[in-house]
Amino acid sequence: MATEEKRQELLGRLKNAVIQYDEDGAKEAANEVIALGMDANDAIFNGLVSGMEEVGRLFEAQEYFVPELLMSADALYAGLDILKPHVRQLDLGVKGSVVIGTVEGDVHDIGKNIVKMMFDVAGFTVYDLGRDVPLDKFVEEQLRTDSDLVCLSAMMTTTMVGMKKVISDLKAKNPNVRIMIGGAPVSSDIADKWGADGYAKDANNALKDAINMVSSLKKMKEEAEAKKRG
Amino acid sequence: MAETTTMTPRERVLKLFSGAEVDRPPCFSGMGNVTTAGLKEFGYKFAALHSNAKMMADAAAATYKLTGFECGVVPFDLCVEAEALGCEINVYAHLEDILYPTIRKKIIHDEAEMETVDIPADFTKRGRIPLLKEAIKFLKADIGGEVAIGSYVLGPFTLAGQIMELNDLLKLSFKKPEKVGRLLETLAEAIILYAAELEDAGADYITVREMGATSDVLSPRVFKNLILPHLQKIFSRIKAHTVLHICGKTNDIAVFMTESGASAISADQKNDVAETRKKIGSALLFGNYDPYNVLVAGTVETVRQTVRKCIDDGVDAVWPGCDIWPTVPAENIKAMMDEVINYRR
Repeated sequence: MATEEKRQELLGRLKNAVIQYDEDGAKEAANEVIALGMDANDAIFNGLVSGMEEVGRLFEAQEYFVPELLMSADALYAGLDILKPHVRQLDLGVKGSVVIGTVEGDVHDIGKNIVKMMFDVAGFTVYDLGRDVPLDKFVEEQLRTDSDLVCLSAMMTTTMVGMKKVISDLKAKNPNVRIMIGGAPVSSDIADKWGADGYAKDANNALKDAINMVSSLKKMKEEAEAKKRG
Repeated sequence: MAETTTMTPRERVLKLFSGAEVDRPPCFSGMGNVTTAGLKEFGYKFAALHSNAKMMADAAAATYKLTGFECGVVPFDLCVEAEALGCEINVYAHLEDILYPTIRKKIIHDEAEMETVDIPADFTKRGRIPLLKEAIKFLKADIGGEVAIGSYVLGPFTLAGQIMELNDLLKLSFKKPEKVGRLLETLAEAIILYAAELEDAGADYITVREMGATSDVLSPRVFKNLILPHLQKIFSRIKAHTVLHICGKTNDIAVFMTESGASAISADQKNDVAETRKKIGSALLFGNYDPYNVLVAGTVETVRQTVRKCIDDGVDAVWPGCDIWPTVPAENIKAMMDEVINYRR
């Protein structure tokens, strides 16, 4: 077992690797975590995700821009790919599966990929439909996978309007499904009007929202574990 | 209220561009403004417009004829240059809904191919470039006596994002700026060639849409060092009046935008243009109403308030933040025109 000191060192290295978009650094630290038999969940949430939270802050402060965000995401994935096979199956009390994609007519997928990353981190099963996805496909995939969350993304005013139809089709077929929409032209007003449950207006907000979701999942997990012990 | 002035919309726009006094701000755009009402007049399908010069011109002219919106602009999509460079596009011909064409197949698939991309010798004869010239001629013959005729090209960075993965382009702008710079240099040449064709066909003004270079995505430093020099080259070579449009929050680069050499700069609804006005002094500034949330989804009163705010904030032309979404209600566009004509600061 790793000592607390070693644990802190590795968490710090994972965090910094993400902040400094250092893929090799993230891999090395992740390999050490595994070699020492440290908890992979701990390394993901308190190392990699914690680094991503700082990246989100830097993005908000306009010290980082999208290129840095993308490079940090690469570093996070480099660590995550090594750690993930060692994650114990979590019983979160939620089903944790999500259908995600960019709507037909739109080939921008950066915001979508950032949200997807946070779901990957949280251990969700992610059905990524990619970009330029025909609207019916979202409904089909939700029904096929019985996912409880659908995330739709559109980057341009000219493609956003398609989301309206998907939302109403999804809700008609399955009133319980939760829908999150995102992208530069989207507003909370539009989300309300069209009946979406949540929205993210840009990459940073998507990241923040996704982090919030992950944080609340963490909390649920801790509560579930406390209950088990109690 | 009807207008008492004798200035035609064409004179007003051209005078504004040349720095002369105008009686009021014009209400026009340098980006697409086709409407479903216009399509209905002719029974055209949106997807069919992109590959037929006559239909493209008819649809563009219909906006002015039906609403008085003070320009005629073609094309409606953002894929002309990329297609002429060899990309494959999708016009979504199978769908009844309005979807704008996108790139289906890119021409750069990896970093190495960035170095080998070339402008074909017959570039201006390829793809839809000849068709666009024809469309401008039709449009000019139809309404060119009354309104200024506009067209647009992409900025080099945005065009790069069309012909290669945007993800890779963004990361390489950070990791290998020299490599991206060389690509932008090549693409700037292609853009200059295309713009010359549009000018030759009779475009009175050309908007350069460098949408991908917004400060929401790229740092102002990268914009200044990597992108601005190529924009400067492009603007120095276009003889028609020019506009530089960049989406999102652009106040951190507004001064750089005025240094690009464009006749005017254009901002979208996310940008605080009152602040822009302070930063850029008397340079021409167009903007910045939301072409969907206000013009399509808003009430007549929201539209009027928004127009007044644009004018109060100091724009020289009331102009949308992006392409106008085609289902715009007639009463909204009418309210916008009426407010621009009658409102005085």
